[in-house]
Amino acid sequence: MIRVAFDIGGTFTDFVLEDDIKNFAYFLKVPSTPYDPGAAVLNGLEKLLGEARLENTSVNTLLHATTIATNAILERKGAATGLITTQGFRDILIIGRQKRYETYDLHINKPKPLIQRRHITEVVERTDFNGSISNPLDMTSVDKAIEKMVSSNLEAIAVSLIHSYANPKNEQLIRDRISEKAPNLSVSISSEISPKFREYERTNTTAANAYVKPIVGRYISALETALAEQDFENDLFVMQSSGGLVSAKIARDYPIRIIESGPAAGVLMGGIVGKNIGERHVITFDMGGTTAKLGAVDGGIPAITPTFEVGHIRYKKGSGLPINVPAVELLEIGAGGGSIAKIEFGMIAIGPESAGADPGPICYGKGGTQPTITDANVVLGYISGDWFNAGEMQLNIKAARSGILENIAKPLGLTLEQAAWGIHMVATNNMENALRIVSVERGRDPRAYAMVAFGGAGPLHASRLARGIGIPKVVIPAGAGVGSAIGLLEAEPRIDVSTTHVLKVSPEVSSTIRSIFNSLEQRANEDIQRLAVAGVTKWSRYAYMRYVGQGFEVLVNLPSGTIDEKYTNAIINAFNSAYSKKHKFLDKDAIVEVVDWSLVATIQEERTKNSIYNSLLSGQSREKTVRQVWFPEVDGFVETTIIDRRSLSAKDIVMGPAVIEDPDSTTLILPGDKVTIHEQGHLVIEVTQKELAKN
Amino acid sequence: MTEQKQIDPITLTVIWNTMLSIADELGTTLRHTAFSEGVREGDDFSTALFNSDALMVAQGNFSPGHLGAMPTCVKHALNYFPAESLKPGDSILLNDSFLGSGHFPDTFQIMPVFIETRLVGFVACSAHQVDMGGAAPGSQKVHGVTESFQEGLRLLPVRLVRGGDIEEDIMRIILGNVRMPDKVRGDLLAQHAANLTAAERLQALFRDYGIDTVEAAYELILNRSEQAMREALSKVPAGIYSFEDYLDDYGPGTQPIKMAVDITFSGDGDVELDFSRSSDAVPAAINSYINYTKAYALFAIKVFCNATQPQTEGAMRPITIKAREGSFFNPKFPAPSGGRAILQIRIFDTINGAMAKALPQKAMGAFSHWSNPNIGGIDDRTSKPFVMYDLSLAGYGGRYGEDGPEALTPVMNCTNIPVEVHETHNPIRIKCLELLPDTGGAGQWRGGCGLKKEIEILNSTATLSHLADRHKFQPYGVFGGQPGTLAGTYLLRKNEKKSLASKGVEELRKGDILSFLLSGAGGYGPAELRKKEAIEKDIEDGYVTLQGAKKDYNWTP
Repeated sequence: MIRVAFDIGGTFTDFVLEDDIKNFAYFLKVPSTPYDPGAAVLNGLEKLLGEARLENTSVNTLLHATTIATNAILERKGAATGLITTQGFRDILIIGRQKRYETYDLHINKPKPLIQRRHITEVVERTDFNGSISNPLDMTSVDKAIEKMVSSNLEAIAVSLIHSYANPKNEQLIRDRISEKAPNLSVSISSEISPKFREYERTNTTAANAYVKPIVGRYISALETALAEQDFENDLFVMQSSGGLVSAKIARDYPIRIIESGPAAGVLMGGIVGKNIGERHVITFDMGGTTAKLGAVDGGIPAITPTFEVGHIRYKKGSGLPINVPAVELLEIGAGGGSIAKIEFGMIAIGPESAGADPGPICYGKGGTQPTITDANVVLGYISGDWFNAGEMQLNIKAARSGILENIAKPLGLTLEQAAWGIHMVATNNMENALRIVSVERGRDPRAYAMVAFGGAGPLHASRLARGIGIPKVVIPAGAGVGSAIGLLEAEPRIDVSTTHVLKVSPEVSSTIRSIFNSLEQRANEDIQRLAVAGVTKWSRYAYMRYVGQGFEVLVNLPSGTIDEKYTNAIINAFNSAYSKKHKFLDKDAIVEVVDWSLVATIQEERTKNSIYNSLLSGQSREKTVRQVWFPEVDGFVETTIIDRRSLSAKDIVMGPAVIEDPDSTTLILPGDKVTIHEQGHLVIEVTQKELAKN
Repeated sequence: MTEQKQIDPITLTVIWNTMLSIADELGTTLRHTAFSEGVREGDDFSTALFNSDALMVAQGNFSPGHLGAMPTCVKHALNYFPAESLKPGDSILLNDSFLGSGHFPDTFQIMPVFIETRLVGFVACSAHQVDMGGAAPGSQKVHGVTESFQEGLRLLPVRLVRGGDIEEDIMRIILGNVRMPDKVRGDLLAQHAANLTAAERLQALFRDYGIDTVEAAYELILNRSEQAMREALSKVPAGIYSFEDYLDDYGPGTQPIKMAVDITFSGDGDVELDFSRSSDAVPAAINSYINYTKAYALFAIKVFCNATQPQTEGAMRPITIKAREGSFFNPKFPAPSGGRAILQIRIFDTINGAMAKALPQKAMGAFSHWSNPNIGGIDDRTSKPFVMYDLSLAGYGGRYGEDGPEALTPVMNCTNIPVEVHETHNPIRIKCLELLPDTGGAGQWRGGCGLKKEIEILNSTATLSHLADRHKFQPYGVFGGQPGTLAGTYLLRKNEKKSLASKGVEELRKGDILSFLLSGAGGYGPAELRKKEAIEKDIEDGYVTLQGAKKDYNWTP
């Protein structure tokens, strides 16, 4: 079977072609074409298939990750959208949850809602928390609302009524009426998009879906048409934020599910690499030009969060728009190669401001004047001045040195090397504090995890980060440069459904639980039919649970099997183990309740899964060289071996200190650490732990 | 104190960042395990690290309401438990209004941290408990409470944990005096567990860098943050800036309370805020103990002077906050204070009025005032008590260059409680939650709108304890901006509409509708200068009606 995965990013579109019979893979990077994203896809496919000497018709499946929905929201370039809501609640979207993302700044503004107040209309109806309808829907008010939407030339409508998660009837009536009266309007109803309680989050999620639906629909149709014209089989799958694939059709209906498409694929790649080297617990560390992203894979399964935010300001929690659909758990901080170093209170502060790619770090010589993490790494000898981007860019080391000297070293009374080291150290320390949140604070013991590091700057900072927090093993995957695209190949078709039903857990409620899961299964099956893929469906049950009276829930993986009186005991046991893992504390007397229930269906396709890395380590490699590299762990500048990664083969061993260079990233091996080249090309680094490293 | 040790800026940076990370982690742990709504939705808690001399070296960025109390809590604890009497595994608990943050629900836990047998510092956290006993659920009843003894259990410092074991005798006294003892116990234990995690990390920091280095870093941090605060304060033009405003009253039929401040900037980095000209303390539970006055005065200074560096004791050295003893802003025990949270917006508003004269572009129109009612009773369906603790928050005053945002939390920083969550837990139905047009003070930059929330009682009986303000004195505008409209609270029973006081108690029955109308916020600059497009946009979006536009802006289509 031939599968092609492509991930469209802001700068590059990455491709992987996998032939699981012949057991080889091709990788490709082409510049993205933001004005017409499909152009880069067609261009790349042509090159890739040419290289592989394959016909377009031989490709069985196309897998796709895209930022189209995210960008439409970030740039507020979605469709003109209206909202229909319950009488008395016109301002749910405007009011939001009201918290400031900066406590001490009273001059901030809230995120701009996706729908203007003038386009929000109320209808007469009321559904109560238990699903009963205390005031029936008044169709005259619905017709008036539709007329208003039509006369305002809107393209999309979101419908979100109070407590509709408990009874979708009135929303469905409105949807049907719209398709009857105004069939051209694209409709999204909250009981389908995100049937969970808390009206602001549900309404915003629905509004966001409506807002991007026309754009995503047009984009996918155009892509499908173009692919069909090139004789590709029309079997296109799109990555969801949850790390599962859906058919193009479902992506068009629920575009809100594909917001974090690319990052989800990145975490999945971490999972594959972990599997390759026999590690089930993985922290993924993706550090690029402007940010660092941390994710986790627990027991082989990517960690998922039920809600996330889009459009953060300065990475502050609460500054973006909340989206209530499952997504891979990612913590993003403003620390990338381009993050700017400055002095605050006589100390070094890094980011979140970034020099980006343009002008970029000082060493790029494109007009950057503020020292960045990359400049520090160049001064310390970590990054080669003449083999950056495989030699495509010559770095100006001299400019980087003088930038750090003038801006950091002199004002602080440090030597140049101390200042550069300070920048590197402080950046690593900031990431270590973020990593603590992902690991220790969320119940993950770093000693049980391996770190998979990728992105341009990830492999350079990974070992010190791992050493700082006590992670014993770092893996730099082969093909790290097209990491997310590789992750797509691992993904399975997946449907997530969930609902809110607040329920205290006791044997008496087992029949209620059974009916909740029955109706979730029914919903999932409707989507599975639209997925139209062959394979065995695997079901996983989850619940978001807490002690009665608490306000935050923990995710609990529920056992499978018959739901009877005994099952409720199993639920409580599962909660106890999840809760104590996270909070190291159990209250045996407290009553436990479930807030949200969710069911995940994954379709296990029949295909042989081979490693896709076997063909990777090709190309002309360079001879070993040496240069001065800063290792304060031993003695400042040390003459260090520089190795071209392509010269390494399976089972080779490299001892630190060393630098291993890839065309698109550089791996730093610390003194005392040992690298083994895995048979699939990964660099597996055994990280000496802190106490030992000191001696 | 150890001899000053040389410490390089990189080590210093890493130590300080780690300390802040510890203070933050302490808070997130607490937030995620708490039962108290105040803690998890309102971030009504705080965390801090101290050196062995009880000086605060880092404070977590949580509720500004504890900016005043946290720095001194360790010193207070040491007055009762001298340092040499403390052992590893001990922890001190207190909630006294004067020693703590101004009312009983905030419990502080203070844990000494040792490296072997040497005391190297303290970690502390406070959390707003669901109840501390007293006259009404939540221990914040205002009206009819005339002295602190009616407000619940007062804890002068006690050793809640000894050598790692909870003192069950003390715990029993506490739990025997509070409503919802399970939740109070859970939150007291959560505070202790969070402190333990922070203490472990602090020990690791000392081990990694050595006691001398960390102590030297502490010294530098205290001095640097003092210096940074002085620099920020010295940018404010020297002078004395004064302002006064009034609270409605302290219960039905009582007199307004004068809130006055005189702020003196020396011009070389010192500031004094003096609230002495304010009214005397009142016989109702809204007095502001000095720590609470300090908290929001400090908050205002940080906001106006851009002094957003991490909070330490050093940063407070250049700031003097005082009020005449026995006055509303510095009452003496047993002045009651449970409901003092209602003051936070008004303390800021008062300072803002004065600072407008010093820093016109940083000032803003007065906030819409929030409403903070408690509706409780016995739920007919379960025969168990229910308490609907609610907070409604509306707009900001107009700001230089920008309208006030709609419906954003002022001063304190909390989230609202969703309609669907309230209705799931309480026998009520919320009829509406909407912005009120034509309520924001007109101006070149308009004040945010007021808000209407209507709650229908579905239970046979219930009691409202109301806590709100601005029913009598409008939120002021600045530099020619108009004030926002007055707030109002009404009881709709059958066809009658009864006006309720901003602070009072009302018995309710099934079918009653409570209508809470929040004030609009004040405008900035004269209305004549408002841009035509801004007026048109407001009309289109319904923030201003056609009639309102004609009246306030003399606008014609």
